[in-house]
Amino acid sequence: MGVVDAYLIPVVDGVAYGLLLFVVAAGLTVAFSVGGVLNLAHGSLYALGAYSAAALSDGTWTGLAVAVAVGALTGAAGGGMLAAAVAPLAGRGHLAQALLTFGVALVAADLLATLFGPDELPVVVPSELGTTATIAGHRYPAYRLAFIAIAVLLAGVGWLVLGRTKVGARVRAAVDDPQMLACLGVSPQVVQAGVLAAAGGLAGVVGVLGAPIIGPGPGMANVVLLLSLVVVVLGGLGSVSRVLAAALAVGQIQTLGIALAAGWAPFLLFAAMAVALVARPPRAVGSPA
Amino acid sequence: MSPHRLSPRRRRPWRLAAVTALLVLLTTATGCGRSSGADPGRVRIGFLASLSGTYQAVGTDMRDGFQLYLDIHGGKFGSRIVDLVVADEGDGGPTAVPAATKLIKSDRVVALAGLVGGGSVAGVVPLLAENKTPLVASNGRPELKDPSWVWTTSFMSVEPGVAIAQYVKDHVDGPVYAIGPDYQGGWDELRGFTDAYTRAGGKLANPDGKTTFTPFPQTSNFLPYFTQVRNSGAKAVYCFYAGRAAVDFVKQYRQSDIKDLPLYGAFLTEGSVLDAQGAAAEGIWNVLNYSPDLDNAANRTFVAAWKARHDRTPTTFAMAAYDAAAVLDRAIAAIDGKVTPQAINDAIGRLGQIDSPRGGWQFNAKTHAPVQKWYLRQVRPDGRALSNVVVQDLATLGG
Repeated sequence: MGVVDAYLIPVVDGVAYGLLLFVVAAGLTVAFSVGGVLNLAHGSLYALGAYSAAALSDGTWTGLAVAVAVGALTGAAGGGMLAAAVAPLAGRGHLAQALLTFGVALVAADLLATLFGPDELPVVVPSELGTTATIAGHRYPAYRLAFIAIAVLLAGVGWLVLGRTKVGARVRAAVDDPQMLACLGVSPQVVQAGVLAAAGGLAGVVGVLGAPIIGPGPGMANVVLLLSLVVVVLGGLGSVSRVLAAALAVGQIQTLGIALAAGWAPFLLFAAMAVALVARPPRAVGSPA
Repeated sequence: MSPHRLSPRRRRPWRLAAVTALLVLLTTATGCGRSSGADPGRVRIGFLASLSGTYQAVGTDMRDGFQLYLDIHGGKFGSRIVDLVVADEGDGGPTAVPAATKLIKSDRVVALAGLVGGGSVAGVVPLLAENKTPLVASNGRPELKDPSWVWTTSFMSVEPGVAIAQYVKDHVDGPVYAIGPDYQGGWDELRGFTDAYTRAGGKLANPDGKTTFTPFPQTSNFLPYFTQVRNSGAKAVYCFYAGRAAVDFVKQYRQSDIKDLPLYGAFLTEGSVLDAQGAAAEGIWNVLNYSPDLDNAANRTFVAAWKARHDRTPTTFAMAAYDAAAVLDRAIAAIDGKVTPQAINDAIGRLGQIDSPRGGWQFNAKTHAPVQKWYLRQVRPDGRALSNVVVQDLATLGG
């Protein structure tokens, strides 16, 4: 009981943090598996959303709603532009794409720093969310509890769209059998571009909502991208549910793990990554490409 | 629930992702400069600071502080017109050394000033000795075996912690938890505190009796550490953070179980981070060698001139760069004859007391760092905004 009481907050926080990583990494993994693009500018799309939050969210619910809308639109526009930019590179492999999108990320980081200045910007949320909640006698930021609910909602909507709708069926068809999809009169290229734009929009929305947790400032795009890549590496790019499991695990490693063994903090995450890579089932390695 | 199989054809994408994760860590920055003709009535000075990257805010403050001194002194050092060549230090040694090399070898500056990072200073030192060129460093200051060519106008990294340790011992009834970022600056800052604090009879609350270091710069969530602080039974917290980490640390502190534990820090609330921290910063105790509300003539001139040009309050970074310009001004004014790097270096050594916005200080002849007074400040409402207000003098260090 004492142990549960002492470590309750890190466990809850691990869920909040893990879900944040999941909704960010989900966009990255879907863009890769469907759009075929390893998007190293994914963190910049999150940054667009986070800066929208800093600029537009003024403590009112309207302000937050406007920020979410702007984050979604700029993120989707950014995703669309990336799709257009990498289109000429089709067939040249992922390294060319990685270099291009990494370059875009550098340019975007510089533009954002020029536009918004070199400082970390404060993000104001409606006062109902900005308070402190109490969980079993412990203080915890209320915003993070709300974020858990919103992230679950986002994940649920994503799951329904991909798994239960016609649009989702086309997206999955674009992965499984693009030729057959084309025979049905649907262009796989259009589907792929649409997926990149949607993933960008999602990243933008998550950027707005995640800004009070990982806030806007120089270097933030890299932090977000690095953590998403770790999640994707741990979960494998194949399945959304494994990415979810990996994100939650990373969340717990980053919170409960640190609360238990702070001295190991620098190594915990990458040690877990190394173990996951070594222990990965051989079928994923040996099968023909 | 069945997973959506999204990528049956790409079997080893994680390898690519792992490799590219490393790529993300690589960024580059290059310095730039300009050259002009030589003239006996002019003197060419090189100024290096982080104008891009992690420390851009600090670097920009330093450049503005140096420029401010020039502006209110007619653009001259000791009646000679200054040709200032500004270059970008980037994130540290790997970018600072090439930029400094260019300033010394192709721009032929007679002295260098600035530099944000302690690593940059350490990297540039061999270059200074080889070319016999002085550096008036206004921020980072690593331990140096031979500081012959380096003059520091800021402070040694261990000093803030040393200055506040006795006060914390006297005012906190019980053990104190020490925490800081895991890099050279963090180690020095925290070592200064913990050594002086335990020597004064204090006890650390950290489980193993050693400072907790958080991975830098990637730590953005401090809540797990706060759980550990709470479980340790600490009666107060001492930390050193700057930039983004300082914002995250303070905001999360006030929303955690330990929000009512007194929080003492070095830097923590200095500069633009205070706006981002907002109300969460109120009541934080911190130690520094400067505060904009210090009541002396030099500070009134400095603050008024700064506020006429910028809509932010001056920081210790800007003040130390302003003093670096003052040091060069007075040294060059004292030179009889040709202004050479050697002559400047010798003249700096003979300066004596320097009248500064922080109050009077002078160089320690051995360490080439200031002998100066330290102040205890607390974040309090000042008009509509919060600001760091001087509460009392702490100690004079550096002698």
